Amino acid sequence: MLDILPMWAEAANIGPFLPLAFAGLGASIGVGIVGGKAAEAVGRNPSAFGNILVMAIIGMALAEAIAIYGLIIAFSK
Amino acid sequence: MELMHLLAAEELTVNANPFFPNMTWFTNSMVVTVIVTVLIIIWARQSTQKMELVPKGAQNLFEALVEILYTTFEGVVGKRMIPKVFPLIATLFIFILAANWFGLVPGVGTIGFGKLREGFLSLEEMYQPLLRPVNTDLNMTLGMALFFMLWWVIWTVQEVGVIGFLKHTFEPKGGVKGFLWFALLPLFIFIGVIEFFSIAIRPVSLSFRLFGNIFAGETLLHSMSTLGANLPVPLNWVSLVLFPLPFYFLELLVGVLQAFVFAMLCAVYIKLSTGFEGDGAH
Repeated sequence: MLDILPMWAEAANIGPFLPLAFAGLGASIGVGIVGGKAAEAVGRNPSAFGNILVMAIIGMALAEAIAIYGLIIAFSK
Repeated sequence: MELMHLLAAEELTVNANPFFPNMTWFTNSMVVTVIVTVLIIIWARQSTQKMELVPKGAQNLFEALVEILYTTFEGVVGKRMIPKVFPLIATLFIFILAANWFGLVPGVGTIGFGKLREGFLSLEEMYQPLLRPVNTDLNMTLGMALFFMLWWVIWTVQEVGVIGFLKHTFEPKGGVKGFLWFALLPLFIFIGVIEFFSIAIRPVSLSFRLFGNIFAGETLLHSMSTLGANLPVPLNWVSLVLFPLPFYFLELLVGVLQAFVFAMLCAVYIKLSTGFEGDGAH
Protein backbone atom coordinates (compact mmCIF):
# COMPACT_ATOMS: atom_id res chain seq x y z
CA MET A 1 0.00 0.00 0.00
CA LEU A 2 2.79 2.36 0.90
CA ASP A 3 4.74 1.71 -2.29
CA ILE A 4 2.20 3.27 -4.65
CA LEU A 5 4.62 5.98 -5.72
CA PRO A 6 7.52 3.66 -6.66
CA MET A 7 5.05 1.41 -8.46
CA TRP A 8 3.72 4.30 -10.52
CA ALA A 9 7.27 5.41 -11.28
CA GLU A 10 8.19 1.95 -12.51
CA ALA A 11 5.05 1.68 -14.57
CA ALA A 12 5.73 5.02 -16.22
CA ASN A 13 9.33 3.89 -16.81
CA ILE A 14 10.91 6.75 -14.91
CA GLY A 15 12.18 4.51 -12.15
CA PRO A 16 15.66 5.91 -11.38
CA PHE A 17 14.55 9.54 -11.73
CA LEU A 18 12.02 9.62 -8.89
CA PRO A 19 14.54 10.54 -6.15
CA LEU A 20 15.95 13.18 -8.48
CA ALA A 21 12.51 14.77 -8.80
CA PHE A 22 12.05 15.09 -5.05
CA ALA A 23 15.60 16.27 -4.52
CA GLY A 24 15.16 18.89 -7.21
CA LEU A 25 11.93 20.11 -5.66
CA GLY A 26 13.47 20.51 -2.22
CA ALA A 27 16.65 22.10 -3.52
CA SER A 28 14.80 24.66 -5.65
CA ILE A 29 12.62 25.71 -2.73
CA GLY A 30 15.67 25.95 -0.47
CA VAL A 31 17.70 28.04 -2.90
CA GLY A 32 14.71 30.31 -3.49
CA ILE A 33 14.26 30.91 0.22
CA VAL A 34 17.95 31.73 0.70
CA GLY A 35 17.90 34.11 -2.25
CA GLY A 36 14.76 35.86 -1.05
CA LYS A 37 16.11 36.34 2.45
CA ALA A 38 19.38 37.65 1.03
CA ALA A 39 17.54 40.20 -1.10
CA GLU A 40 15.52 41.28 1.91
CA ALA A 41 18.65 41.67 4.02
CA VAL A 42 20.36 43.82 1.37
CA GLY A 43 17.22 45.96 1.23
CA ARG A 44 17.40 46.59 4.94
CA ASN A 45 21.12 47.39 4.95
CA PRO A 46 22.55 48.08 1.50
CA SER A 47 26.09 48.62 2.73
CA ALA A 48 26.43 44.99 3.85
CA PHE A 49 26.12 43.69 0.31
CA GLY A 50 29.53 41.95 0.23
CA ASN A 51 29.05 39.95 3.43
CA ILE A 52 25.51 39.00 2.51
CA LEU A 53 26.62 37.90 -0.95
CA VAL A 54 29.25 35.55 0.46
CA MET A 55 26.88 34.00 2.95
CA ALA A 56 24.10 33.66 0.38
CA ILE A 57 26.40 31.87 -2.06
CA ILE A 58 27.53 29.43 0.63
CA GLY A 59 23.91 28.77 1.64
CA MET A 60 22.84 28.17 -1.94
CA ALA A 61 25.72 25.81 -2.62
CA LEU A 62 24.92 23.72 0.45
CA ALA A 63 21.24 23.59 -0.44
CA GLU A 64 21.97 22.67 -4.04
CA ALA A 65 24.33 19.84 -3.13
CA ILE A 66 21.46 17.53 -2.22
CA ALA A 67 20.01 17.84 -5.67
CA ILE A 68 23.44 16.99 -7.06
CA TYR A 69 23.46 13.79 -5.01
CA GLY A 70 20.09 12.92 -6.56
CA LEU A 71 21.41 13.67 -10.03
CA ILE A 72 24.35 11.32 -9.58
CA ILE A 73 22.14 8.51 -8.31
CA ALA A 74 19.73 9.01 -11.19
CA PHE A 75 22.39 8.87 -13.87
CA SER A 76 24.39 6.01 -12.48
CA LYS A 77 21.55 3.47 -12.26
CA MET B 1 29.31 9.42 -49.27
CA GLU B 2 26.91 10.84 -46.78
CA LEU B 3 27.78 13.10 -43.92
CA MET B 4 24.67 12.29 -41.97
CA HIS B 5 26.09 11.20 -38.65
CA LEU B 6 28.94 13.34 -37.58
CA LEU B 7 27.96 13.91 -34.02
CA ALA B 8 29.88 12.11 -31.41
CA ALA B 9 30.00 11.69 -27.63
CA GLU B 10 26.46 10.82 -26.74
CA GLU B 11 27.27 10.00 -23.18
CA LEU B 12 30.10 10.37 -20.78
CA THR B 13 31.01 7.36 -18.70
CA VAL B 14 31.25 7.91 -14.96
CA ASN B 15 34.75 6.42 -14.77
CA ALA B 16 37.46 8.11 -16.74
CA ASN B 17 39.07 6.07 -19.48
CA PRO B 18 42.73 5.06 -19.56
CA PHE B 19 44.96 7.06 -21.85
CA PHE B 20 47.44 4.38 -22.83
CA PRO B 21 45.96 0.93 -23.34
CA ASN B 22 48.22 -0.93 -20.98
CA MET B 23 48.35 1.58 -18.08
CA THR B 24 44.85 1.51 -16.68
CA TRP B 25 45.58 3.84 -13.80
CA PHE B 26 46.61 6.79 -15.99
CA THR B 27 43.33 8.20 -17.20
CA ASN B 28 42.58 10.86 -19.75
CA SER B 29 41.49 13.29 -17.06
CA MET B 30 44.91 12.91 -15.41
CA VAL B 31 46.50 14.03 -18.67
CA VAL B 32 44.37 17.17 -18.56
CA THR B 33 45.40 17.72 -14.93
CA VAL B 34 49.05 17.72 -15.96
CA ILE B 35 48.34 20.03 -18.90
CA VAL B 36 46.40 22.53 -16.78
CA THR B 37 49.05 22.59 -14.07
CA VAL B 38 51.86 23.11 -16.55
CA LEU B 39 49.93 25.91 -18.27
CA ILE B 40 49.23 27.72 -15.00
CA ILE B 41 52.84 27.45 -13.86
CA ILE B 42 54.30 28.57 -17.17
CA TRP B 43 51.95 31.55 -17.46
CA ALA B 44 52.44 32.64 -13.86
CA ARG B 45 56.22 32.39 -13.97
CA GLN B 46 56.50 34.14 -17.29
CA SER B 47 54.38 37.09 -16.30
CA THR B 48 56.24 37.68 -13.04
CA GLN B 49 59.67 37.35 -14.57
CA LYS B 50 60.57 41.03 -14.33
CA MET B 51 58.59 42.52 -11.50
CA GLU B 52 57.86 46.18 -11.92
CA LEU B 53 56.76 48.55 -9.20
CA VAL B 54 53.68 49.68 -11.11
CA PRO B 55 52.36 46.46 -12.60
CA LYS B 56 50.61 46.18 -15.90
CA GLY B 57 49.45 43.39 -18.10
CA ALA B 58 49.62 39.82 -16.88
CA GLN B 59 51.51 40.73 -13.72
CA ASN B 60 48.67 43.07 -12.83
CA LEU B 61 46.19 40.26 -13.34
CA PHE B 62 48.02 37.92 -11.00
CA GLU B 63 48.58 40.61 -8.37
CA ALA B 64 44.90 41.54 -8.44
CA LEU B 65 43.87 37.89 -8.19
CA VAL B 66 46.11 37.18 -5.20
CA GLU B 67 45.10 40.37 -3.44
CA ILE B 68 41.37 39.83 -3.89
CA LEU B 69 41.68 36.24 -2.66
CA TYR B 70 43.80 37.33 0.31
CA THR B 71 41.40 39.99 1.52
CA THR B 72 38.34 37.79 1.01
CA PHE B 73 39.73 34.84 2.90
CA GLU B 74 41.27 36.99 5.60
CA GLY B 75 37.78 38.27 6.35
CA VAL B 76 36.62 34.70 6.82
CA VAL B 77 39.52 32.90 8.48
CA GLY B 78 40.94 35.68 10.61
CA LYS B 79 44.28 37.41 10.67
CA ARG B 80 46.05 34.76 12.69
CA MET B 81 45.38 31.76 10.53
CA ILE B 82 45.55 33.36 7.11
CA PRO B 83 49.33 33.00 6.51
CA LYS B 84 49.09 29.27 7.10
CA VAL B 85 45.99 28.44 5.14
CA PHE B 86 46.20 30.90 2.26
CA PRO B 87 48.51 28.86 -0.04
CA LEU B 88 46.28 25.80 0.05
CA ILE B 89 42.97 27.59 -0.34
CA ALA B 90 44.16 29.94 -3.07
CA THR B 91 45.74 27.04 -4.96
CA LEU B 92 42.50 25.10 -4.75
CA PHE B 93 40.56 28.07 -6.09
CA ILE B 94 42.91 28.86 -8.97
CA PHE B 95 43.37 25.23 -9.99
CA ILE B 96 39.65 24.37 -9.90
CA LEU B 97 38.82 27.54 -11.84
CA ALA B 98 41.43 26.86 -14.51
CA ALA B 99 40.45 23.19 -14.74
CA ASN B 100 36.75 23.97 -15.12
CA TRP B 101 37.38 26.55 -17.80
CA PHE B 102 39.87 24.33 -19.61
CA GLY B 103 37.15 21.71 -19.92
CA LEU B 104 35.18 24.17 -22.06
CA VAL B 105 37.93 24.58 -24.63
CA PRO B 106 36.69 23.12 -27.95
CA GLY B 107 38.05 19.63 -28.36
CA VAL B 108 38.23 18.60 -24.74
CA GLY B 109 35.70 15.82 -24.35
CA THR B 110 34.57 15.88 -27.97
CA ILE B 111 37.56 14.52 -29.89
CA GLY B 112 38.25 10.89 -29.27
CA PHE B 113 38.05 7.28 -30.24
CA GLY B 114 34.80 5.82 -31.42
CA LYS B 115 32.95 3.61 -33.78
CA LEU B 116 33.17 4.76 -37.34
CA ARG B 117 30.43 4.78 -39.86
CA GLU B 118 31.09 4.65 -43.54
CA GLY B 119 31.63 8.05 -45.03
CA PHE B 120 34.11 10.82 -44.60
CA LEU B 121 34.53 12.38 -41.11
CA SER B 122 31.63 10.60 -39.52
CA LEU B 123 31.49 8.99 -36.10
CA GLU B 124 28.48 7.10 -34.98
CA GLU B 125 29.30 6.83 -31.35
CA MET B 126 32.26 7.91 -29.31
CA TYR B 127 33.11 5.98 -26.24
CA GLN B 128 36.44 7.36 -25.22
CA PRO B 129 37.36 11.02 -25.41
CA LEU B 130 41.00 11.87 -25.83
CA LEU B 131 41.01 14.65 -23.25
CA ARG B 132 38.41 14.88 -20.54
CA PRO B 133 37.69 17.73 -18.12
CA VAL B 134 39.48 17.31 -14.82
CA ASN B 135 36.66 17.48 -12.32
CA THR B 136 34.47 15.00 -14.18
CA ASP B 137 36.54 12.33 -12.50
CA LEU B 138 35.46 11.63 -8.92
CA ASN B 139 39.00 10.55 -8.03
CA MET B 140 40.28 14.08 -8.58
CA THR B 141 37.69 15.86 -6.47
CA LEU B 142 37.87 13.22 -3.75
CA GLY B 143 41.65 13.60 -3.69
CA MET B 144 41.41 17.36 -3.30
CA ALA B 145 38.76 17.10 -0.57
CA LEU B 146 40.69 14.45 1.39
CA PHE B 147 43.91 16.45 1.11
CA PHE B 148 42.12 19.50 2.48
CA MET B 149 40.64 17.47 5.35
CA LEU B 150 44.08 16.14 6.23
CA TRP B 151 45.41 19.69 6.53
CA TRP B 152 42.29 20.74 8.44
CA VAL B 153 43.07 18.07 11.07
CA ILE B 154 46.72 19.18 11.21
CA TRP B 155 45.85 22.88 11.60
CA THR B 156 43.13 22.24 14.17
CA VAL B 157 45.43 20.12 16.30
CA GLN B 158 48.16 22.77 15.97
CA GLU B 159 45.87 25.58 17.03
CA VAL B 160 43.64 24.23 19.76
CA GLY B 161 45.07 20.78 20.46
CA VAL B 162 43.19 17.51 20.56
CA ILE B 163 41.85 18.18 24.08
CA GLY B 164 40.65 21.63 23.04
CA PHE B 165 38.90 20.26 19.99
CA LEU B 166 37.12 17.56 22.01
CA LYS B 167 36.16 20.08 24.66
CA HIS B 168 34.81 22.45 22.03
CA THR B 169 32.71 19.74 20.50
CA PHE B 170 31.34 17.93 23.53
CA GLU B 171 31.24 20.45 26.36
CA PRO B 172 27.97 22.05 27.50
CA LYS B 173 27.96 25.60 26.23
CA GLY B 174 26.30 28.67 27.60
CA GLY B 175 28.27 29.22 30.78
CA VAL B 176 26.47 26.70 32.93
CA LYS B 177 28.19 25.63 36.09
CA GLY B 178 27.76 23.15 38.87
CA PHE B 179 24.94 20.66 38.88
CA LEU B 180 23.40 21.97 35.65
CA TRP B 181 26.65 21.21 33.83
CA PHE B 182 26.43 17.56 34.76
CA ALA B 183 22.74 17.41 33.97
CA LEU B 184 23.23 18.80 30.49
CA LEU B 185 26.33 16.72 29.74
CA PRO B 186 24.54 13.67 28.19
CA LEU B 187 22.55 15.94 25.90
CA PHE B 188 25.65 17.74 24.70
CA ILE B 189 27.52 14.48 24.24
CA PHE B 190 24.73 13.34 21.94
CA ILE B 191 24.91 16.63 20.03
CA GLY B 192 28.67 16.25 19.84
CA VAL B 193 28.33 12.83 18.25
CA ILE B 194 26.04 14.27 15.58
CA GLU B 195 28.46 17.11 14.97
CA PHE B 196 31.33 14.64 14.72
CA PHE B 197 29.43 12.74 12.08
CA SER B 198 28.71 15.91 10.14
CA ILE B 199 32.43 16.75 10.20
CA ALA B 200 33.25 13.28 8.90
CA ILE B 201 30.82 13.70 6.00
CA ARG B 202 32.51 16.91 4.83
CA PRO B 203 34.96 15.34 2.34
CA VAL B 204 32.06 13.46 0.77
CA SER B 205 29.93 16.54 0.32
CA LEU B 206 32.82 18.71 -0.92
CA SER B 207 33.88 16.18 -3.52
CA PHE B 208 30.39 15.21 -4.66
CA ARG B 209 29.26 18.81 -5.01
CA LEU B 210 32.14 19.69 -7.35
CA PHE B 211 32.01 16.38 -9.23
CA GLY B 212 28.23 16.51 -9.66
CA ASN B 213 28.17 20.06 -10.96
CA ILE B 214 30.96 19.64 -13.50
CA PHE B 215 29.97 16.13 -14.60
CA ALA B 216 26.34 17.13 -15.01
CA GLY B 217 27.39 20.20 -16.97
CA GLU B 218 29.54 18.14 -19.30
CA THR B 219 26.76 15.58 -19.83
CA LEU B 220 24.34 18.44 -20.46
CA LEU B 221 26.61 19.93 -23.12
CA HIS B 222 26.98 16.56 -24.82
CA SER B 223 23.25 15.89 -24.77
CA MET B 224 22.42 19.32 -26.11
CA SER B 225 24.97 18.93 -28.89
CA THR B 226 23.54 15.66 -30.10
CA LEU B 227 19.91 16.65 -29.70
CA GLY B 228 19.34 17.44 -33.36
CA ALA B 229 21.33 14.53 -34.72
CA ASN B 230 18.52 13.07 -36.75
CA LEU B 231 17.62 16.21 -38.65
CA PRO B 232 18.52 16.57 -42.34
CA VAL B 233 22.01 17.61 -43.24
CA PRO B 234 22.45 21.39 -42.91
CA LEU B 235 20.13 21.56 -39.92
CA ASN B 236 21.99 18.99 -37.89
CA TRP B 237 25.27 20.88 -38.21
CA VAL B 238 23.57 24.14 -37.25
CA SER B 239 21.95 22.54 -34.23
CA LEU B 240 25.29 21.07 -33.17
CA VAL B 241 26.62 24.58 -32.68
CA LEU B 242 23.49 26.47 -31.71
CA PHE B 243 21.81 24.29 -29.12
CA PRO B 244 24.57 24.07 -26.51
CA LEU B 245 25.38 27.78 -26.71
CA PRO B 246 23.32 29.02 -23.73
CA PHE B 247 24.45 26.06 -21.68
CA TYR B 248 28.03 26.90 -22.54
CA PHE B 249 27.70 30.25 -20.81
CA LEU B 250 25.96 28.52 -17.91
CA GLU B 251 28.98 26.24 -17.62
CA LEU B 252 31.31 29.24 -17.56
CA LEU B 253 29.35 30.64 -14.63
CA VAL B 254 29.12 27.28 -12.86
CA GLY B 255 32.88 26.82 -13.20
CA VAL B 256 33.61 30.07 -11.38
CA LEU B 257 30.90 29.50 -8.80
CA GLN B 258 31.95 25.97 -7.88
CA ALA B 259 35.60 26.95 -7.54
CA PHE B 260 34.60 29.83 -5.28
CA VAL B 261 32.25 27.66 -3.22
CA PHE B 262 34.87 24.95 -2.72
CA ALA B 263 37.51 27.39 -1.51
CA MET B 264 35.05 29.37 0.61
CA LEU B 265 33.69 26.25 2.30
CA CYS B 266 37.26 25.16 3.10
CA ALA B 267 37.88 28.55 4.71
CA VAL B 268 34.63 28.37 6.66
CA TYR B 269 35.45 24.90 8.00
CA ILE B 270 38.83 26.16 9.20
CA LYS B 271 37.22 29.16 10.85
CA LEU B 272 34.64 27.00 12.63
CA SER B 273 37.20 24.88 14.37
CA THR B 274 40.00 27.35 15.06
CA GLY B 275 38.17 30.63 15.52
CA PHE B 276 37.59 30.39 19.23
CA GLU B 277 40.92 31.33 20.75
CA GLY B 278 40.92 34.19 23.17
CA ASP B 279 37.22 34.65 23.51
CA GLY B 280 34.83 32.97 25.88
CA ALA B 281 34.37 33.72 29.51
CA HIS B 282 35.21 30.21 30.59
